[in-house]
Amino acid sequence: MNLKTLIIIALTCAISTQAFAHSRWVLPTHFNLSAENGEWIMVDITASNETFNVDKAMGADYVQIITPSGEVTRPSSTYKGHRKSVADYFLASSGTYKLTNNNKPAYMTTYKVGEERKRIWANKAEFAGKLPKNAKEIKTSYRFARIESYVTMNAPTENFATDGTLLELVPVTHPSDIAENEQVTFKFLFNGKAQKNVAVEVIADGARYRNDPQALKLISNEKGEINFTPTSAGRYLLVAEHQENMSDSTLADKQVGSVFLTFEAQLN
Amino acid sequence: MNIKIAGLIILLLSLFSFNTSAHKSLVKPTEITIELALKQQSGEYHRPYVASWIESSKGKSVRTLLLWREQAKWLKDIRRWWRKAGRKDAELVDGITAATRAAGKFQLSFLAQNDDQINLNKGRYTLFIEVVRENGGRAIIRQPFNLNGSKETFTLAATNETDQIKFSVLPQ
Repeated sequence: MNLKTLIIIALTCAISTQAFAHSRWVLPTHFNLSAENGEWIMVDITASNETFNVDKAMGADYVQIITPSGEVTRPSSTYKGHRKSVADYFLASSGTYKLTNNNKPAYMTTYKVGEERKRIWANKAEFAGKLPKNAKEIKTSYRFARIESYVTMNAPTENFATDGTLLELVPVTHPSDIAENEQVTFKFLFNGKAQKNVAVEVIADGARYRNDPQALKLISNEKGEINFTPTSAGRYLLVAEHQENMSDSTLADKQVGSVFLTFEAQLN
Repeated sequence: MNIKIAGLIILLLSLFSFNTSAHKSLVKPTEITIELALKQQSGEYHRPYVASWIESSKGKSVRTLLLWREQAKWLKDIRRWWRKAGRKDAELVDGITAATRAAGKFQLSFLAQNDDQINLNKGRYTLFIEVVRENGGRAIIRQPFNLNGSKETFTLAATNETDQIKFSVLPQ
């Protein structure tokens, strides 16, 4: 099945409009490397809705690189500019590295004063007395965004450990095996369990130069999986979001997980 | 089970395994010949990195035939070969490495065996030739063929990086 067919199928599924926040990503200079004595990569870190043109610098303070042996490491240096941050990192051993720029899960309360939307980083127990008296439409969410990518030097390894917090993407197709015209399968977990109906968009590089962003819209199946086939080689951003109500929580009304995965489809 | 019967079974099994390995070595492997032609280029020229390999009908690399390369840093640019074969086996890469060649014609001959020098089973395979040149382009040639005891010959169309290439499958 090609991308067009998939797009048509996805459109006929009549997905409700997504309220995705700003896209964010970590974009490594290389996704696949060959080396005898290690190799450097650099990583761009930004928040932008124009894949892959940078827009707003996100800090690199949370950037972590999980090595093939599972060690959590930090970039050797970082720089923060106005449009992006950059991290420098040396891959010393063969295998698959996971790059992340994840903050911590947090409670966010949004409300309206008149027509103006406002937000505060506090849960339902904490915001008492902190909101204006005329605040309306008060909603609290518990949320966590994963901003991630994988880089493989020489032979790939499975570096897909999960922690069971909100939304997680588990590659079924190894990221270093993704190639044009070959099917890709990814699996989504929500709080550690396979999650169906996760809303996903896959956007190819070069959005600035297309009238139609051509976002491929997908929804995870009963097994929590999505399948799609990139029809051209290049870099892609996958954005996934899922939320569940928390009716029995005294701290939040809903929980929201999102994943921003950068990957490349190689020439075949 | 008494000792005698157990002994007999072991003896039979060893005969059986001996026979199969003997059988394999008795069958003459099919010969594969490639007349590889790297295209003459104009302007700045760096010798291309070249890999040729055989994939099974399931797209799994079963044999790397040749690898002409210099630095390990650029092996990844032989995109499909690196993904399907090179990255997974550093020893194979070391063992098969040869220096890059300038443009020209090369008569090459191989046996239809896998990376462990075991004859390939009958079936359908694909020959791949991937050529990548610094400041030049990349070409990938794929030609399906059969190993079924009959002779096959192919003329592979020229690409930006290669002239016409002759490829033959010659049962012996």
